[in-house]
Amino acid sequence: MILGTLSLHAQSFLENSQISGSFQTDAQYYMLDKGIDITDLYGKKFGINGFGKINYTNGNFSAGLRFEAFLPELNGFRNELNGVGLANIFATYDNGFIGITVGDIYDQFGSGLVFRSYEEWSLGMDNSLRGMRVIVRPTAGVTLKGVYGRQRFYWAPYLERDFNYDDYRGIVRGVDGEWNLNQSIPAMNYSEFKMSIGGSFVSKKQYDQSLFYYIPENVGAAAGRINLGYGRFAFTTEYAYKINDPSAINNFIYKEGQSLLSSLSYSQKGLGIVLQVKRTDNMSFKSMYTAKQNDLDINFIPPINYTHTHSLPSMYTYSTQPNGEMAAQFQVNYTIPKGTWLGGKYGTKLTLNMSQVNDIVRDSIMDQGQMTINKRGTLGYASNFFAISDHRFFRDINFEIDKKISRDWHLTAQYINLYYDIETIEGHAGAPPVQANIAFLDVTYKINKKQSIRLELQGLWEKEVKKGYAYDESEKKDYQKRGDWAFGLIEYTINPHWSFSIADKWNYGNPVPEFRDHYFTGTVSYIHEATRIMLSGGRQSEGVVCVGGVCRTVPASSGVSLTVSTSF
Amino acid sequence: MKKLSFIFLVAATMLFVSSCDKIDINNTHKPFNPSGQGKTVLIKDFTGVRCVNCPAAAELVHQLQHALGEDNVYIMSVHAGFLAQPVGQFPDFTTPEGTEWYNGNESNPLFSVDHVALTDGNTLYVEQVDTPLADALFEAQTFEIFTEATYDEETRQVDVVADVVATAETEGNFYVTVSLLEDSIVGRQVVPGGVDTAYVFRNVFRGTLNGADGDIFHEGPVYLDDEYTYKYSIELNPAYNADQCYIMTYIYDRTDGKIMQTDMVKIK
Repeated sequence: MILGTLSLHAQSFLENSQISGSFQTDAQYYMLDKGIDITDLYGKKFGINGFGKINYTNGNFSAGLRFEAFLPELNGFRNELNGVGLANIFATYDNGFIGITVGDIYDQFGSGLVFRSYEEWSLGMDNSLRGMRVIVRPTAGVTLKGVYGRQRFYWAPYLERDFNYDDYRGIVRGVDGEWNLNQSIPAMNYSEFKMSIGGSFVSKKQYDQSLFYYIPENVGAAAGRINLGYGRFAFTTEYAYKINDPSAINNFIYKEGQSLLSSLSYSQKGLGIVLQVKRTDNMSFKSMYTAKQNDLDINFIPPINYTHTHSLPSMYTYSTQPNGEMAAQFQVNYTIPKGTWLGGKYGTKLTLNMSQVNDIVRDSIMDQGQMTINKRGTLGYASNFFAISDHRFFRDINFEIDKKISRDWHLTAQYINLYYDIETIEGHAGAPPVQANIAFLDVTYKINKKQSIRLELQGLWEKEVKKGYAYDESEKKDYQKRGDWAFGLIEYTINPHWSFSIADKWNYGNPVPEFRDHYFTGTVSYIHEATRIMLSGGRQSEGVVCVGGVCRTVPASSGVSLTVSTSF
Repeated sequence: MKKLSFIFLVAATMLFVSSCDKIDINNTHKPFNPSGQGKTVLIKDFTGVRCVNCPAAAELVHQLQHALGEDNVYIMSVHAGFLAQPVGQFPDFTTPEGTEWYNGNESNPLFSVDHVALTDGNTLYVEQVDTPLADALFEAQTFEIFTEATYDEETRQVDVVADVVATAETEGNFYVTVSLLEDSIVGRQVVPGGVDTAYVFRNVFRGTLNGADGDIFHEGPVYLDDEYTYKYSIELNPAYNADQCYIMTYIYDRTDGKIMQTDMVKIK
């Protein structure tokens, strides 16, 4: 009988178990290519990044792990990633009232201005927190959360006694509370007026290792947020404040940090309007004050720019400037109704987006009888909260039409007017800003139920690129991707398995004649259920990969790459 | 609900109160007193003529040297890596030894302090130099180096005598490396906003007199006052300014690669 009971329990246990996972391997074989100035591979002919993650769920319990291998890492990823091991492991129990997680934690408070831990495979970025998280939901609509731990720093060990000179990460701890009034107050349950409020406090404890400056060993940051909605309107805003946090990013100044993010939106069927504004001042918040790369970020400053996905429009993607920016974005989405002259049989989607980012205004301050600005060991500067600097970092005005013309034809077209301060964003000292017009046409023709063909034509025309270009030999590298570009792609798909494409990206208008290169690629991909295998060969131009305003540089390369991914 | 919220509020308040250190803005700088124990430290600055961030980093490291004493801290500017490759009118300061030390790294500026960081496969950014530098200065001295250099104006030959004396008992696999440095070279350097055609390059590493790894001088235990003497010669390149040339000698333990003592003398 006992055996029978145990057997029933085991059967029930197994029936309630759910296992999911995914695997991906990105590999590239590098080749010399004098045509694009790759004359030395520096001993690296092959790079391979891979991960596998498995999640297990059984009722209130879940656990998971992620294994990673960079042997060696692909070019453009930090070489500290080189290695292999268990990058993430966690276990969670959550019964609705209380949830406890131990291990590597991903979470976010509000919009992330004071805390966000996340992983982004395409950037090689992972700032997960190894520690504990407790979530309590004492009543409907109220969520209280607490986290503490130490952030992942590539493969560095987490034990304090194992830290090296270049690794003295702090401990991160934080609390967050959110109250959704519509869920808590019965009278508001079905109200058209929606409201929730929240607040966070996050602190890092780091050791003062500096020889010259008194580094605060406890740095706190707090944020408050409110979300309001009425009918078709929604308004969200969050303000964050951080006390003195001298670091390598802010040049060791002791000024407080501030950030404000607000969004007002309206939506109805066929129409959506969004206006967003953001101010950031000295808000880099890392758990190691000497860190300068895309690592150990405790917070996340969301970008408010349009995310382009096509090749040429995404060449110049804005990277968030945590030391200071004033940004605004306005977007209108409108669908011309079906059955009208312009809407046709399927309707026509129109999108107008405008975003601009300028620097904040920094005024000099008095230090030891002298006016200084951004000097180490001082408050750095004074800044009027509402003042906008004339120094423009970025502007993107774009208009897109997305139209299904007939049962067989689909068309997407976009025009972009771009301003991109490449000196600030990519660090190309002295290089003039990119001012460009960009356009693309993306047409898909369905040959029959199984086969389709897609054509992309793109152009980038940079204005005034040659003005002021008395470039020196040494500066040539800064102009490697400058000037006019053309891009063409043709893709043939046989559903549901096969896809073949060839593409060429041509920098025909580069001011340096020897950089007027073609970047040919050919790609074959095969999909079987959740498995995808993609093989491509050719050249890749130098550029940046950006996700959420965080970017990494991708060097030019030539060779063959293979991506294999699957999930279950 | 109320109890839980109260507990949460108390925890949040405690965290808030204990988690903010406000530094007095009139007292942000620390006083620093070198140990005075005789231990010297070598900073290798891996730099490049086309590296836009290198001049500022070099300046910071020289400020550190100035603050800590030029008899305590030595700097060697090793031009290595992609951004050090000569193009057009930019000077070529690259050397085979420097490239070997640089070990295929991809960026400039990078640093090592007494070979710390380089030895475990990583390098230091300029902001990370000060901590190992402070630690190295407070280490006990185990060797003293007496370097003598004599220069013949006619033949441009430099004769070097490096005398190494143990000041404490220790054990290891000890090597000596003797290098030539040239200071105050004027040339083209990329700087923020363009090119400085009259940039002053300081402490430029011109090569070693005995290979990238140097020569082994002892393996095993060393006792107080053990003495080792080595002699080297080099003919000075006609392009080098003898008035600005120095001989730098350092000894290191091959076991962990760490430099134990450094000495530098002018050849004239």
